[in-house]
Amino acid sequence: MSGSRLDESTSRRSGFRFAELLKVQGKLALREPYALFGGLALPAILLAVFGFIGQANPGNVGSTGLTIIEVWTPTILVLSMIFISVSLPNTLVRDREIGWLRRVSTTPLHPSRLLAAQLIIDLILAAAAILIVILEGALVFGASLHVQILPFAVSLLLAIVELFALGLVLVALMPTQTVAQPVSGVVTFGLMFLSGLWVNPAQVGDPLRTIMYYSPSGAAVKAVLDSAFNGDPSYAALLTMAVYTVIFGFIAIRYFRWE
Amino acid sequence: MVSAATAVTVEHLVKKYGRLVAVNDLSLSMHEGEIFGIIGPNGAGKTTTVECISGLRAPDSGSIAVYGLSPQKDRDRMREFVGVQLQESALPPRLRVGEAVRLFASFYSNPIDPDQLLESLGIKQFAGASFKSLSGGQKQRLSIALALVGNPKLAILDELTTGLDPEARRETWGLIERMRDRGVTVILVTHFMDEAEKLCDRLALINHGIVIALDTPEAIAARAGGSRVRFVPSQPVDEQTLRAIPGVNGIERKERYVTVTGTGDLAGSLINALAAIGVRVSEIDARTGNLEDAFIKLTRDDALTVGKESQR
Repeated sequence: MSGSRLDESTSRRSGFRFAELLKVQGKLALREPYALFGGLALPAILLAVFGFIGQANPGNVGSTGLTIIEVWTPTILVLSMIFISVSLPNTLVRDREIGWLRRVSTTPLHPSRLLAAQLIIDLILAAAAILIVILEGALVFGASLHVQILPFAVSLLLAIVELFALGLVLVALMPTQTVAQPVSGVVTFGLMFLSGLWVNPAQVGDPLRTIMYYSPSGAAVKAVLDSAFNGDPSYAALLTMAVYTVIFGFIAIRYFRWE
Repeated sequence: MVSAATAVTVEHLVKKYGRLVAVNDLSLSMHEGEIFGIIGPNGAGKTTTVECISGLRAPDSGSIAVYGLSPQKDRDRMREFVGVQLQESALPPRLRVGEAVRLFASFYSNPIDPDQLLESLGIKQFAGASFKSLSGGQKQRLSIALALVGNPKLAILDELTTGLDPEARRETWGLIERMRDRGVTVILVTHFMDEAEKLCDRLALINHGIVIALDTPEAIAARAGGSRVRFVPSQPVDEQTLRAIPGVNGIERKERYVTVTGTGDLAGSLINALAAIGVRVSEIDARTGNLEDAFIKLTRDDALTVGKESQR
């Protein structure tokens, strides 16, 4: 028999190892660094920009009682989460479009594990971003944080869950990468504006201020800001995020497709 | 004759996409350890059929059993031993060959060693190459590797050699034959007749969602009317004399040419019979029927029948 090496190859017993999947997704995240750039590099640079603006313009922003770097540190924290979440369609819509998720679904692995691995990688990125931005803001540019750990953690966590859910809505609704890219771009700019990157809600009047406070990213910024400096979480902002999370989660689950 | 156990049974399969009937009451069965080919024109329902077998699509009605399991109800158990190579399925562009195969190996409880698999497929030297940098042939070999790494009992290969150069196609054929030698049942969807003729133990010809022929490639080829001989006789021969020659089914005349269609050793019996009555033949052009002829004939006949039915 010409046989084959396949005959001789030994079969080895090994159950499904999530670690292998996590490792591969992690490597891909490093090779396609949308999330890495938007989630880590860009916020670090933006924070530096505001840091230098702050040094050139000491004093408080409006009636907030906070310096420029202090006001914008929470905004940039939220910004980093926005960038990480809108990078979700970059990989997942593509993976669905090229038939990768379908290909995976013919194996004993359900593609939901692939999604889970991707979300875990992004969660790790978000945690790294939080660490970098807080350290940079506090140590390099002297933002004086008076953090109440529990409300601060809850605000950040809720912001992450809310914005990731929004990212998954995009993954669910966007049919192709070609459509997903411009739509994600528009959503990103909308969220950036509402988060107060260009004009802080403290500096604008109603109704814009109200709109910003009750927007997905504006509410996140307000919750993080209040718990970072005032030690007093804004329950309205937390509730707003919770409501958005439920809505986004419902849409994402309702319309999610693997093929 | 070795009696082969049944690997796959499809009975009265129906699958519609909206008003389009893709598969219409299709039945067939496959033996364990054979290469079973599915051929048919575009849109005949080939891919839909294998997608139902692999559990990717739910049939509207009918039943499917794969080694005794239902692709819908026993999906999880079935996925352990069914390897699938999908038409038009790509990998993330920056995923590397070795990573992809090791990743897939980790999904199965009893996988083949990824390194040895890559070596036997001749792509071990590309283990570090990213998917987007691979050539068409290398991508197909990787696709086969992913279908095989779980050590399947049944491999479903859809349009496996489309886009490959002739050499890569021959190599791929060799791989499929070696799979069968290992006892793997192979379902091969193809629109290359030479591929079906060369590789498949049995073939199902599908058109308009039903099986219009199911047999060995040779037997299906014979249905095309077998051979055809065109010649010029040294003197006119009447129709009755020609009809009396064994194997002759049809006669056509065009100018000085006579074309005879039929079965068996047509040219041989023709020359002998005509020589016996003193007729010499020249300018002989003989052709044996092949699968391609059969394919065209059978699908055309089918189209005519369908056409007549719809006129009623």
